This record gives sequence, C-alpha cells and structure tokens, in this order.
Amino acid sequence: MEKDSNTPHADVLHEEDGWHRQPYDNDPPLVKGNLSFHEITDLVAYHTEKKTPITWFLAFGVASTGLMILFLMLAYQVYNGVGVWGNNVPVGWGWPIVNFVFWVGIGHAGTLISAILFLFRQRWRTSINRAAEAMTLFAVMCALIFPTFHVGRVWVVYWMLPIPNQMEMWPQFKSPLLWDVFAVSSYFIVSLLFWYVGLIPDLATLRDRAKGLRAKVLAFFALGWTGANRHWRNYEKSYLILAGLATPLVLSVHSVVSFDFAISIIPGWHTTIFPPYFVAGAIFSGFAMVLTLLVVARKIYGLEDLITLDHLEKMNIIILVTGSMVGFAYITEFFMAWYSQVEYEQYAFINRAFGPYAWAYWIMMTCNLISPQLFWFKKLRRSIPVMFALSIVVNIGMWFERFVITVTSLHRDFLPSSWDYFSPTWVDVLTFVGSFGLFFTLFLLFLRFVPMVAIAEVKGVKPEADPHFYDHEGDGHAAEAPQIAIQQPASEAQDGPDDVDDSTAPTTD
Amino acid sequence: MAELKRSSLLTWLVSPFQPTREHADARFTYRGSSTLYLALLGLGVALLIVSLVGWAVDAKQFFFSYVVGWSFALTVTLGALFLTLIHHITKSHWSVVVRRIPEAMTWMFPVLAVLSIPILLGMHDLYHWTHEELYDPTDPHYDEILAGKRGYLNTPFWLARMAAYFLIWTFLSYRLLKLSLRQDLDPDRSIPKKQRRTAAWGIPVFGVTTAFASYDILMALDPHWFSTIFGVYIFAGAFFSASATIVLLALLLQRLGGSLRGIFTKEHYHDLGKWMFAMTAFWAYIAFSQYMLYWYGGIPEETVFYRHRFEHGWQWHSYSLMFFHFVLPFLILLPRASKRILPVLGVMTGWFLVIHWFDIHWIAMPVYDVFYGAGHAGFSWISIACGLGFLFFYLGLTLYHLQRHSLVPYNDPRFVRSLQFESV
Repeated sequence: MEKDSNTPHADVLHEEDGWHRQPYDNDPPLVKGNLSFHEITDLVAYHTEKKTPITWFLAFGVASTGLMILFLMLAYQVYNGVGVWGNNVPVGWGWPIVNFVFWVGIGHAGTLISAILFLFRQRWRTSINRAAEAMTLFAVMCALIFPTFHVGRVWVVYWMLPIPNQMEMWPQFKSPLLWDVFAVSSYFIVSLLFWYVGLIPDLATLRDRAKGLRAKVLAFFALGWTGANRHWRNYEKSYLILAGLATPLVLSVHSVVSFDFAISIIPGWHTTIFPPYFVAGAIFSGFAMVLTLLVVARKIYGLEDLITLDHLEKMNIIILVTGSMVGFAYITEFFMAWYSQVEYEQYAFINRAFGPYAWAYWIMMTCNLISPQLFWFKKLRRSIPVMFALSIVVNIGMWFERFVITVTSLHRDFLPSSWDYFSPTWVDVLTFVGSFGLFFTLFLLFLRFVPMVAIAEVKGVKPEADPHFYDHEGDGHAAEAPQIAIQQPASEAQDGPDDVDDSTAPTTD
Repeated sequence: MAELKRSSLLTWLVSPFQPTREHADARFTYRGSSTLYLALLGLGVALLIVSLVGWAVDAKQFFFSYVVGWSFALTVTLGALFLTLIHHITKSHWSVVVRRIPEAMTWMFPVLAVLSIPILLGMHDLYHWTHEELYDPTDPHYDEILAGKRGYLNTPFWLARMAAYFLIWTFLSYRLLKLSLRQDLDPDRSIPKKQRRTAAWGIPVFGVTTAFASYDILMALDPHWFSTIFGVYIFAGAFFSASATIVLLALLLQRLGGSLRGIFTKEHYHDLGKWMFAMTAFWAYIAFSQYMLYWYGGIPEETVFYRHRFEHGWQWHSYSLMFFHFVLPFLILLPRASKRILPVLGVMTGWFLVIHWFDIHWIAMPVYDVFYGAGHAGFSWISIACGLGFLFFYLGLTLYHLQRHSLVPYNDPRFVRSLQFESV
C-alpha cells in the first residue's frame, strides 16, 4: 500500500489555501470549576480521610438495620423452608427470581460504563465509572442471595458447582440455571478485577497522603504502584484487555438470565427476542440506579464539578434509548404473539394486559415505556428533581417487568384446575427490603473508604492531560502558574481546608 | 454564496442534487476517472439484465433470486442509514471524514423502490399468503393460521406498508443528505444541530421500520414461521454489511480513484474495522440466541425453520454460515494488525459482502425449495447474477453519486478533529 493513506494530515490542510476552516467545535469541558489536578485529588480523597460524619453513621445505621432484617429473614427461611415464601403451585418462581433478575439487571450499568463506554471512547464515563462499578458488584451480591437460598438446602449449595465427587453427581449442564452460576460468577470476578485494577493508581495516591497503619494497608492494596511510565503502560494494557473481556460479559450475563425463561416452552417466556431485550432492560435499570445514587452522592459530597449536569444528562439519554428499546420489545412480543396465531401465546399476552395482573402490567408499561419519553425534552433531562424521580420510577418499573414476566406466565398454566393467584408473604417482602439493606451497607462502606471517583482517570480527560496541550503555551510551567491561582476559590467552596497550597496535604481533622 | 440545487427529475433518482464538487478544494473531490464507476455500473446493469433472462427461463427461481439480491442491497442501505444516524446523534469526531460514504449509500432507497417492481410482479410466487384460496373455508387449501393473520398479511396492507417504509427512509436520507451537502456551500453553524435533531427522531423510526420491513419482506416468505428477534437479526446483518461496504468504497476511492489521500487514513479504516469485528460478534450473538432458543424449546412450528435448513444439503449452508459469518472473520479481525493492514481489510470487505448475501440467500432460498420442490441446496446462476448485479450496481451508483460532490464534509465543525483522529 502506498504511504499516502497514513501520512499525517498536517500537510493536507493549510489555512491559507482558502478552504473554510472552522474553529474547533470543542465539547464543553468534562470537569467543571477549573480544578487543578491537585484539587481533584483533594476533592475525592478527602472523603476517605476526613473524620466520619455523623450523618454517615445515621445512614449506615439504617442500612445495617436493613441488613439485619435480611439475615433474620434468611435464617427464618432456612429454618422453616421455602414454604415461608409466597411461591405456590403454579407460581413456583415467585419473588426470589423476580428479585434475582432485578438485582442482576442493576448490576449491568457499572461494567457497561467501564468497559463498553471505554471501548466507545466515551470519556465522560471517567467521573461515574468507579461508583457505578462498585454498585454493580454490590447489586450482583444482592442478586446471588436469592437463588442461593431458593435451593432450599443452602448448606449444599456447592452442589451447583461441578466438583468431582464420589457420588458421581454432577449438575445438570443442560440447565440455564447452571449457566447462570457460571455467567454471573465470571461476570462478578471480571467486574471485581476491572474495578480493582482501576483503583490501583488511586489507592497509591491515598497511600502517599496517609500515615501509619492506614498507609501500610493502602500500600498493600496499591501493589507497589509508583506511577512510573512502565506501570502506566502495563496498567493501560491490562485495562484495555479487561474492557475487551468484560464487554461480551455485559451481554452474556443477562442473556443467560433471559435463557432461564426463554428456553422453556411457557407462553410469554419462550420468545427469541429475550436475550437482547433483557440486556437492554438491564442497562436501563442499571443506569437508573446509578442515577439515583449519584444524584444524591454528588450533592452530599460536593462533587458537582466532577459529576456535572452534563454527565447526568448523558445518563438520561441512555435511559431514554434503552427504555425505548425495552418498550419496543414489549410491543414486538405482543405483535408476534398475535402474528404467530398460537393460541397459548395470544392468551398469555391478553392475560398479561387485561387479566388479574393487569395492574402490574400497566405499571410496567407506564414506568418503562412512557415515563422515560419525558427525557426527550432537554429541560427535563437536565432537571435534578425530574431525573431523580424518574430514576426511581424506572427502578420500580423494572422490578414490575420481572414480576409480570415471572408471575403472569406461571399463574395460569396449561392446567386450568391449578390456576392460582400469587401473593407474596411478609417474609418475601422483608427479604427484599433486607437486600436493599445489604446493598446500601456495602455502598456506604464504599463511599467511606474508597475514592468514589476515579481520580487518575478524571485527570486524564482534562485538557491539560493532552500531550499537545502545551504546544502553544511554552513548556507547560508557564501555563501552570496562573491556573493554580485562579482555582483557589473553587476548592474553598468544597470541603473547607483553607490552605490549598500545593504542598500541604489536606487536613484529616 | 452558491446554493444547493435540486437535480432534474430523472437524475434526482440517483443523485438528488446538482454537482457541488467545483466549490470544494481539489483534495476533497474525486480525482479518478469516470471509468471506475461507469464500469461498475455497466457490469451491474449487465448482470441484472442477464438475470432477467432467468425470468423468462424460470420465473419462480428468478423472483426468489431477485428478492435475495434486492434485500441484500436494501439491508446494506439500511445499515448505512443507521451509521449516518448514530454518527450525528453521538456527535462523533472520527467518522466525519467517513460520513459522505454512508450518506451516499442511503440514496439507494429511491432506486431500490423502483427496483422493487419485479418483486411486486412476483408477489404471487414469492408470498404464499397472497393466494386467495387459503382464505376460503370451503377450499381444501384453507389455512386457518394464515386466515388468522390476514389482517396483517394481505396485499393492500403489505403494499401500503412498503410504500410507507420507503417514503420514510427516503425522506430521512434526503433530509440528512441535503443538510450535509448544504454545509459544503454554506458553513451554517446551525446545520449540525439540525442533523442531530433529525437523527434523534430518525433512530426510533428507523428501528421500527427496519424490524417490520424485515418481517414483511423476508419473514413473510415463510408465512407460518415467526421469531421476535428476526428484526434484530436483519439489523445485525445490515450493520455488518454496511460497515464493510463503507471500507470497500473508501478503498475504491483511494486505490482506484486516487482520492482522499492522507484524509481518510489508516486510523479511520481501523475504526471501521472495529465495527466490522464487533458486528460479526453481534450477529453471532443474535443468530445463536434465535437458534438455541428454538432448538431448546423444540416446538415444531418454530423449529421447522431450522429443519428446512438442515436437510437437502442446506445443512452445509448452515454450517458455512457459522464458520464464515462468525468464527473465521472473528479470528481474523481480532488482532489489531488485520484492521490496519489494508489488503487484509480489503479482502475482508469482499468476504463480508459475500457472506451477508449468503445469509439472506440462506433465509430466503430454502423457502423456494420447500414450496416449489427444487429438493436440494445450492446456488442458481440466476441468484449469482442477481447478487453480483446488485453489488456492482450498488458500488457503481454510489461512486457516481459520491463524485458529484465533495467526498468529505469539509465545513463540518468537527472535520479537523476527524483528520487528526488516531485510533487506539
């Protein structure tokens, strides 16, 4: 091949040649407030170093109470058996599977943000990926509770794993429930690794600011990171490889979850669009949960300059897109049920929309298909109250989606004599409430001990991080000085340490 | 300032605006000779005319072969429209220098609308559900299932839907093309915003029309069979083939047309190569989901689709599809180098187009086999003439359309960033 197609473009365009050169269409800066690198570090690291605020203890108290409820409910269930749940004869899969799918779905946003958006060069992901990934891990943990305890004899739950044994007993490899074990656990492991690899430079930053035992602990987890060129090289390589590995996993996990339903021949479950439609729904619900958490966290922790309104707006657009995809899938299912002329399919869908669970169906439709359409309006997608309310509406809607799929298809099966109405018991309800306790306990611990924004990555999207930034500004030192001067007031508004002198580490009062 | 003028009525069909290339810098325009596109066009038209001989010889075979070739061209065009839409909605930089190629490809819609005439004439042979006797309860051919679907699958409604799809697609393409070409003459800063707005409503409209068009054109060939993922399957193939076609057209413009040197760089090829790679995996994901779920369920009215494709030699087509649509291209395109070594990428574009045509052939042709009892798999010469005819015609016409204007939207505010783009 000739060299031409790869020669730099610099010699292609000369302004004096008279073509209409337009000025750069610079996107608005991703980090607001004209923060310097040091101020970004301070802004994020401070929250892991300061004295624990009383409000955190209050929140933690509430969350861990929820966790205690979860423990109690699980103990009660293990002692008494699965019968304490509302699952009955036609509805063998009740709330446990609904909650499992609900939580797994939520656990999709983090790795989508960190892996797929990374491959798509969406640099805005850097402000939100850390918290979203953490949330992903916690959501997957919450999800795993339900199938684990639904097996009934939780003490032999390891039978789900293909462990060689003298009884020659193996799990059923043809069952998608077993595929779930593999899919969810590999997703969890890769997401955890991905999260941890991304954390290493930031842990080293914290380590360098810490003293005593704290420094030692952080040093252990920072794996001897010095920020050397070689370290960065390895880091970026492994980050890319992990992103490549995590990308198919984002799709595979919820596809396998959808197989749990779709491989059966139960009307309403057995439909081929389930895998992509479940994935879209998972991203939809995951983003809604990230939004719920970050809208609050950015306010409380004063991170509005890092997690800006632009970031939130982009998340809202993803919610609009995935919500519409899910909505179109609902309509496609309905249309195909009619088009197929299979009477069972037709009945299943008519029964969904107009049967005893019509209320749930229409909650689902309103929350998932209609409400996100509000995000067509720029004003609404940039309004914090609207997006906060909608994110909760979407989470409710996505829970109902799983409820509608699970319960409406099962409660009237092929044998009308066994038709029944499903109602949850108080144990169902409190177990689900308790899973939120687990989720928020873990999330609060994360907020307290781990830098909640990827410090190093956010710095990387600042214009100053561009190797050519100083091309027109001398050697860089000249340009740096005035910048620091400008930024003083911005940091004052944040967390208070009065002297933002470059050399002083923030006080850990 | 010059104005964008509409072409005369006949030219409008192939290229809706009068040439604007003289306003552009010479480096941005087509520098090759007209032989390239005229040869491709001539070859394409000749092959299509040859295929018309097939009409006289074996009309039923011709209609099926033709619908395969025509759907092949239509899906590539839909993929190009989708790429244009996401380019605008995501405000992406890298694809600004690429943009004119998919834009030109979308102007195949009106041409394909005209070229649908043989399909309309062959509807009775192509679409079993057009037979009146199926709906007469006293007739021995009465078909209860099709009678139930008649509200959707009936000729007037089908024609109305097709007309609606083509009107919508043409309107979308026309609007985006017009805004884009106007940008060359008038660097109006409001144009990118208008393009983005069009893309915003265009994407959901595109999604719905593509899904239903795939049911109407291809799924309806086998009117008893249904699959909710079918629209996604066709969309995956469309994106798959369009990304390859863009690379192929860019290579033709550069290698044979001597244009866009140093503008359309290896970096842009690399990114398009990534799309090709991603789409081979996405297609496999969708194809596997459909196959696995039907295989596992084992319900006769669903698995019949695959049964037909696993007998009478069609099984070799099915296996080939798995290996040549997914396994091999996936492995070949996985390394970074193969997306940056242009001869390799060039070979892969040809591969992609052939295998995409093969995919459509695999969807449509077994139906012919079932209804008209050819009894064995394989390729009719009519299918090959139609397939290659549509391919060459497509490339030639797109190049003809491209060379009338600047090959890059040099007034796009993101143009410079696109030139400076480096793929990682």
